[in-house]
Amino acid sequence: MSALLQAELLKLRTTRTFFAMVGAALALSLLVVVLVSTLADDFTKKDVRDLFTADFTGMFITLLGVIGMAGEWRHRTITSTVLAAPDRIKLLAAKVIAYAGAGAVLSLIVTVTIMLVGTIILSIRGEQTAVVSDLVDVLWRNLLVSALLGALGVGIGGVLRNQVVAIVGVLFVAFVLEPTLFGLVPEVGKFGPTGGAPGGIAQSPGFDGEDPDYLAPAVAVLVMLGWIGVFSAAAAARLRGSDLV
Amino acid sequence: MRHHAPSMAPVEIRGLSKRFRSVLAVNDLSFDIEAGRVTGFLGPNGAGKSTTLRALLGLVLPTSGTATFGGARYEDLDRPSAKVGAVLEDASFHPGRTGRNHLRVLAVTGMHPPERVDVVLQSVGLTAAADRPVKGYSMGMRQRLAIAAALLGDPEVLILDEPTNGLDPPGIAWMRGMLREQAARGRAVLVSSHLLAEVAQSVDDVVVIAKGQMRGHGTLEQVLGGDEGPATEVRSQDDTRLASALQAAGHTATPLASGGLIVPGVSPKEVGVIAHDAGVYLVGLGQQMRSLEQAFFALTGEELVT
Repeated sequence: MSALLQAELLKLRTTRTFFAMVGAALALSLLVVVLVSTLADDFTKKDVRDLFTADFTGMFITLLGVIGMAGEWRHRTITSTVLAAPDRIKLLAAKVIAYAGAGAVLSLIVTVTIMLVGTIILSIRGEQTAVVSDLVDVLWRNLLVSALLGALGVGIGGVLRNQVVAIVGVLFVAFVLEPTLFGLVPEVGKFGPTGGAPGGIAQSPGFDGEDPDYLAPAVAVLVMLGWIGVFSAAAAARLRGSDLV
Repeated sequence: MRHHAPSMAPVEIRGLSKRFRSVLAVNDLSFDIEAGRVTGFLGPNGAGKSTTLRALLGLVLPTSGTATFGGARYEDLDRPSAKVGAVLEDASFHPGRTGRNHLRVLAVTGMHPPERVDVVLQSVGLTAAADRPVKGYSMGMRQRLAIAAALLGDPEVLILDEPTNGLDPPGIAWMRGMLREQAARGRAVLVSSHLLAEVAQSVDDVVVIAKGQMRGHGTLEQVLGGDEGPATEVRSQDDTRLASALQAAGHTATPLASGGLIVPGVSPKEVGVIAHDAGVYLVGLGQQMRSLEQAFFALTGEELVT
């Protein structure tokens, strides 16, 4: 399993897509933090905290997970991958863990960077800054969300297999379906896998009260694990029963 | 035809069948591949060659029967790439990954020493191109990379599906040498190909299938010789006397229109001994075989389209 995990992480690091996604996540997150911390005024502690949830790693690691799995079919590398690792369930598990780990590491880089840059700008402007405990709290939530979304992306890619359909589907759910659902029926939307449940994990319990529109963080984690379980189980069933011709 | 020893062969296929919905792609196929020999796996398009190889490698789930390596299914092997190396017809790579990185990934997965990457790259002549993305590789270079991947674990068994596809003449010659070298090192090599002339120069044994069924299996000489094995063509100073001597020895000699005799199922050495004992001087003696192409068409029932 360790060898499979190392191999998946090596695969991830040896394509330009990975670095492009890392760059895009970092650039987008920095852009939002720099603009808000430069242009907005009268920051409260909650505003500062919310500012540092602007870690866009989640969406990019979801897409990377989708590409990492569905790409095996797109590039027809699934044959050589299964030849090297014939236990297909272990292979899928290694991918899920690898992309969860990659999501956490990527989020660590992005979150720490935006926290540093945002704090410097806010300090220079004489605005409110976050205390260390708040920063740590935001950091682990961002890391957890990205890890879960990385794992989810692999499951989605394993179920859909068509990379383009999977990417378009994820973007549609994330930017159209879930926001619409969340707006119209929040009691259903808060269970969504790309926005609802991750939003529940990212919110701050005991800090200005929990938002009733979101799931409590612990429940949100369980819901995300449920989504990952469902997609991974479906992907495993498809992978195990498939003839690779 | 070859009879199999009871000891376990490196590759054993027993009663293998595979059905895709209404199509029976492979039908009760059984044969062994032996160590130290190159076995050609022949059949027309759609004969079931690739399906058989994929079933052997655990990529296709057999409907019935078994395909094993030393008694174990591919997916049950410990570190399979250290035991079996495979090049499949549609060998594909991530276009943005370099050749070296592709091999590094496989080396990590198979727990092979990292140094093996450079060794196999050199052995297939790809060292200079190793750090270029695969999307810039020619078809021949991709094929060499696939072969490098198969050799990464220094496996005991090599399975190659149409390995000469995309190779230029020097590449094909290199491939032929590589196959022979692997067999000389005691490896069992199974190679499917539609290039009959190419196979004839490289293989020791032949398996011929058509419509998913076994049509012929044996040494190259046995398959080329037909059901009675190789025939001997002999010319002598007295064909009538020689024919009588051969008949007395239990062989059938048929006169050729151009002169001489054809003696099926007997080696030239045996005919020479009989002629010597009968006191008949020989002026010509040689083995007569079908070409592999003739054998292929005879065994598969295919017709030559001209």
